[in-house]
Amino acid sequence: MMNKRKAARLVLPIALSLGLALPAAAKDQLVVDLVNEPATLDPHQQWNPDSYYVYRNIFDNMVTRDDAGEIVPQIATEWERVSDTEMVFTIRDDVTFHDGEPLTPEDVVYTVERITDPEFGSPQLGQFNKIVDAEVTGENEVTLTTDGAYPALLAQLVKLSIVPEHVASTMSSAEFNEGPVGSGPYVFEEWDRGVAVTVSKNEDYWGDEGPFETVVFRGVPDASTRVADLQSGNADLVVTLNTDLAMQVEGSGRGKVLTVNTERVAYFPMNASKPPLDQADMRRAIGYAIDRQAIVDGLLGGYPQVVDQMLSPAHFGWAEDIEGFDYDPEKARELIAGVEGADTEMELATAPVYDQRVVQAIQQMLTDVGLNVSIESTDMATWLQDQQSSQEQAPMLTFSRWSCACQDPDGIMYPLLHSSSNWSRVDVPEIDALLDEARSELDQEKRADLYAQVNRLALEGAHILPLYQAAIIYGAAEELEWQPTSNESLFLNRMSWSE
Amino acid sequence: MSVFLLQRLGQALVAIFGVMTLVFFIQRLTGDPTYLLVPETATQEDIEAMRRTLGLDQPLLMQYLDYLGDMLRFDLGRSFVQNVAVTEIIASRLPYTLQLAGGALLVALVIGLPVGLALAIWRKHRSTNVLMGFVLGAQSMPTFWSGILMIMVFGVWLGWLPPSGSGSLSHLIMPSIALGLLSMATYARIARSSVLDELSKDYVRSARARGVGTGRLVGKHLLRNSLIPVISISALEISQLLAGAVIVETVFAWPGLGQLTVQSVQSRDFVVVQGIVLLGALVTIGVNLIADILYSVVDPRIRKGDGA
Repeated sequence: MMNKRKAARLVLPIALSLGLALPAAAKDQLVVDLVNEPATLDPHQQWNPDSYYVYRNIFDNMVTRDDAGEIVPQIATEWERVSDTEMVFTIRDDVTFHDGEPLTPEDVVYTVERITDPEFGSPQLGQFNKIVDAEVTGENEVTLTTDGAYPALLAQLVKLSIVPEHVASTMSSAEFNEGPVGSGPYVFEEWDRGVAVTVSKNEDYWGDEGPFETVVFRGVPDASTRVADLQSGNADLVVTLNTDLAMQVEGSGRGKVLTVNTERVAYFPMNASKPPLDQADMRRAIGYAIDRQAIVDGLLGGYPQVVDQMLSPAHFGWAEDIEGFDYDPEKARELIAGVEGADTEMELATAPVYDQRVVQAIQQMLTDVGLNVSIESTDMATWLQDQQSSQEQAPMLTFSRWSCACQDPDGIMYPLLHSSSNWSRVDVPEIDALLDEARSELDQEKRADLYAQVNRLALEGAHILPLYQAAIIYGAAEELEWQPTSNESLFLNRMSWSE
Repeated sequence: MSVFLLQRLGQALVAIFGVMTLVFFIQRLTGDPTYLLVPETATQEDIEAMRRTLGLDQPLLMQYLDYLGDMLRFDLGRSFVQNVAVTEIIASRLPYTLQLAGGALLVALVIGLPVGLALAIWRKHRSTNVLMGFVLGAQSMPTFWSGILMIMVFGVWLGWLPPSGSGSLSHLIMPSIALGLLSMATYARIARSSVLDELSKDYVRSARARGVGTGRLVGKHLLRNSLIPVISISALEISQLLAGAVIVETVFAWPGLGQLTVQSVQSRDFVVVQGIVLLGALVTIGVNLIADILYSVVDPRIRKGDGA
């Protein structure tokens, strides 16, 4: 084994360097270029795309979303709400972990207890701490009890990776991170620190098997290098390209661009506690002054979709009939003429991770209608801290994007519009009441209607400006067949390879 | 001798202590890493809990004392982001950085020395201007640009070399050249001036008078004598190479310490940054210490001056 590997290490680069094409047989190994290596493979720890791109293939989740975005069974085959606070899940009985042990309802209970244990310190605690009790209540049956009615429960369980009690409970999270055992379509093989994570196909998987024998996830921080890897055939799938690089891939004829509009919504909060933004006309003027379609078409390659509500079509509760501010600089100037102190200097807070071209375009558009806007760029940690500070300390204007990775309005509208949230620059009692009501409304139709009401109110008072539904752009080999999903996951067993 | 050694050692320890203190406080001035570690949807309680887990809820002075205590036990701590021992992370990255520095040094020497020699010997020849232009050009190209250029040409168009990653000699070639070009010019210039120096010396004139040919003169006499400054500059260049590696490693996805530094600074992984800085301080101070000791062995005046 070692010798074969060593031989491959020697021969492969030589063959490559001589420009020899290796025989293109069935695709044995898929190489994926991520931005960085995963932060963790313990699915209950750190929570960032580079980590879950990998571990969502090693672990199964309680439920999942199909390519159309509907919540469908995974480990739970069916579920029933028996009371406002209790939901009974039937657990699949034919699942085994990678070490051969069966997955039992006890593992599901352990999983919930592990991630909600404050001592464990999961960064994802806030997504699951509404679950106050998990119990095995019958053969293959688990009952979850929530703190009050919690309609977003299923949307959160899409992200609950089931871990084996007999492994995870015997070791620290750090140890589990080094040898994660799951039940997913791919088995963890090796983590070469700083270089790559290798997973191999789970031959005994209960569901759709993966199409590749092994998959290597590498960390390649520079986006141009990722594109070069794709074009030279050293990578088959690369993540996070900007529109310039996407055009480069499309123009080169080597590789293709795959894109999907995610549930990430770009938005523009305005701090209503600080004049002149305390006047609704000022905020409305900003709404009319920003040409969102021009940003999408001119800077973002036309991929994103302009939205007029604090949701995306990928969310539950998206209403078809909500119309927002059309670009109308004349109207903006008229409104500004009636605003007191409209020439006050306003800082527009941003951090380098956000597309600076968009931020500068917005600044320019606001300057064009006579406003005085300066860009304040800080590093990400400071930006995050500023955003979550009190109204008085928070910046006046911000460009930001939000994803709760749950495709549920509660995950985006509550934090951004409810006055109790650190993130919210909005303090409207009527909106608070509607959001609170929606949070425990179990009738889905009524619930969707409540969110639509909030969105209409937010537009009326221009309390926050939705901008667009952000797109994510991948580069892929011509032969890779894959439909990226709005929840930014790379499910390997939903991919295929066409010769 | 031993007094001198002890003094030097004491100075080195003080310097390391100073560096470690500086890096501890400077990092903490830059803000709170907790916000980067929790999802956007985290509540204030989640953030507090995370801060407690990381030990960042303690007063700064307590954190500092803890940190000093850990240092005394040679415990560098665990990464905030990866929850892995820092020593383990650094140990996995160090070999790659050493490979790259070695490769770059080789490139710099193999190209830089002959070029410097040629520039000195044929200094009156017009074609040396072209050579000098090449040297300056290579040094002036920023590595993030020359690196991408090489990737496009050799990785994508010609397909000779893998554009990024590690694992074989062919992976090492482009990053070594990108990094080595920076030092190459330094070597060429040092070699040039040092050879020029030697050329004006008496022994060269007498050698020529004896009828020794240029080839033999260079090979037998000049090269050896001009190498001394080249060797001493190498010690300085190594730290240069480590600094330049930050960009080269990012462009070529080379998994060395440079890349780790960038990632750790970006994610405010204080513990890892402290580990890397400690390593850097140890290397730099260690090299200087050795140099000091060697000087004193060679030159007794230094020893006496300090001992008095």
